[in-house]
Amino acid sequence: MSRILEPLLPTLLSERRIPNASEGLLTSYGADPSRHVALGLVTCDQDDSLFVALDEATKHADVDVVFARSFWAGAGVASGPLSGEILGVLASSDPAEIDEGLRAVRRCLEHDACFYGADADGATAVFPHVITSLGRYLSAEAGLQPGEPMAYLVAPPIEGTVALDAALKAADVRAVKVFAPPTETNFAGAWLAGSLPDCEAAAMAYAEMVVEVARAPRG
Amino acid sequence: MSRTRELIAALRRDLGEADPAPPAIHVERVPDPPVRVFPSRRERSRLAGEASAHTTALVGIGRVGTRYATSVVLQFQAELAVAHAAVGQVLPDGWAEEQGLIGLSSQVRDHREFLLRPDLGRRLDEASVARLAEDDVPKGVDVQPILADGLSAVACMGSGVELLEAFSEACRARGLTVGAPLCARFARVWLQDPIGAAVGAKVAAILLGERPGLGTGDGLSAYLVFDPKPGNTDGDRNMMSNIHHRGTPPAEAAPRLADLAAAMIAQGRSGVDLDLSGVAGVESGLRPPQVRLPLVETGGDLS
Repeated sequence: MSRILEPLLPTLLSERRIPNASEGLLTSYGADPSRHVALGLVTCDQDDSLFVALDEATKHADVDVVFARSFWAGAGVASGPLSGEILGVLASSDPAEIDEGLRAVRRCLEHDACFYGADADGATAVFPHVITSLGRYLSAEAGLQPGEPMAYLVAPPIEGTVALDAALKAADVRAVKVFAPPTETNFAGAWLAGSLPDCEAAAMAYAEMVVEVARAPRG
Repeated sequence: MSRTRELIAALRRDLGEADPAPPAIHVERVPDPPVRVFPSRRERSRLAGEASAHTTALVGIGRVGTRYATSVVLQFQAELAVAHAAVGQVLPDGWAEEQGLIGLSSQVRDHREFLLRPDLGRRLDEASVARLAEDDVPKGVDVQPILADGLSAVACMGSGVELLEAFSEACRARGLTVGAPLCARFARVWLQDPIGAAVGAKVAAILLGERPGLGTGDGLSAYLVFDPKPGNTDGDRNMMSNIHHRGTPPAEAAPRLADLAAAMIAQGRSGVDLDLSGVAGVESGLRPPQVRLPLVETGGDLS
């Protein structure tokens, strides 16, 4: 890694389908056996990228995100080669919808959501993602309406905290949710809402400040 | 391309893209594309350089890229101008008399006719025939010298009189009788035949401007013929060319021409029949290398 803000692409570590899941499994993973029959399970080495990708799936298929949890301490200390740092579960009444949803997940991980290296080594990662149009999953989590824009911002604790301040000052946005450290993966994050240009300006101010803090930690 | 990635790409540009700057990637030096480089210095072989020192002709001049050197071009243009001027020059009326010479003329009436009618340039007009019959023109002489304009009146007016006098003097020094100094206008070489026949000379020597070329607009040639009479051919004549101060100087040419005339009279023949062995100045072999002296000084370095 030699350049700042190079994409650090996520890897989809596993992708399994359960066309006709047992009722016990459905219930324990938050699905509703009266509506859900099929499940799609994915693991990924970037939890926030997959959160965005799962939300993306709800815009492309009739699926619900019934389960999405980050693992403790992140992909660096994964419990197995397929674990990564997140397990996401899509549920639907139709296995074909699961296929379509997973296709959207793959597309999003490949072409859209990713971390970026914030220093020359890529050791500092920042996730200054702008969701131009929310799906049903994250909009419900954030308390916003589907279709609204949102800035999904994640960085390590000190960088993320200083950068969140910069982002809030850079544009007319409000913090709908702040994940103060430590999160499961020991990052700091925030969801900001506002108009799309404001969300974009805030995300870029966030990324720039993360780069700045990484460059001058004792500023 | 996602919206976020577009924004990040723009931000990277704003931040200087690679800042903090990573070490530069080592790239092998790309060889220069093939470019035709034209040297500013003149290129020519050593042999050509030495050869060109021996002639006033523009040979062995080398090149600069695909062109001549500037000095060569300037020299060429200057010498061509001199040659053009020499061709166009006409011997002024009364010039011969001013020099103390007896003026004659061929049957040519003007310069254009002179260039277009060589045959008329080889015949004397009636006035000249009558002039030669007068008593102040010695008859039956050994050598009859004739100065003429030929194709370069410039040469005639330049060193013509000097050569005529030196040649006459050299002939007298060899015990030959010399005719009156004549000067013919609009004259071709063969005009020496009717003139020589009219005065009854044993040898007629016509000294006339030679066809101008580059660097030789002022050159004289001398043609000698034994027993001059109409009907002689070029095979009956002996000649010496390039008589000018950068070629054979008149002072050097005169004794050799006198030796030639003496040999003709001694052998009773001229031209290809003449035995040149033993004629001084003819058998001297190779001359020492000349230094090239341009006719026109353009300030360029031709060496």
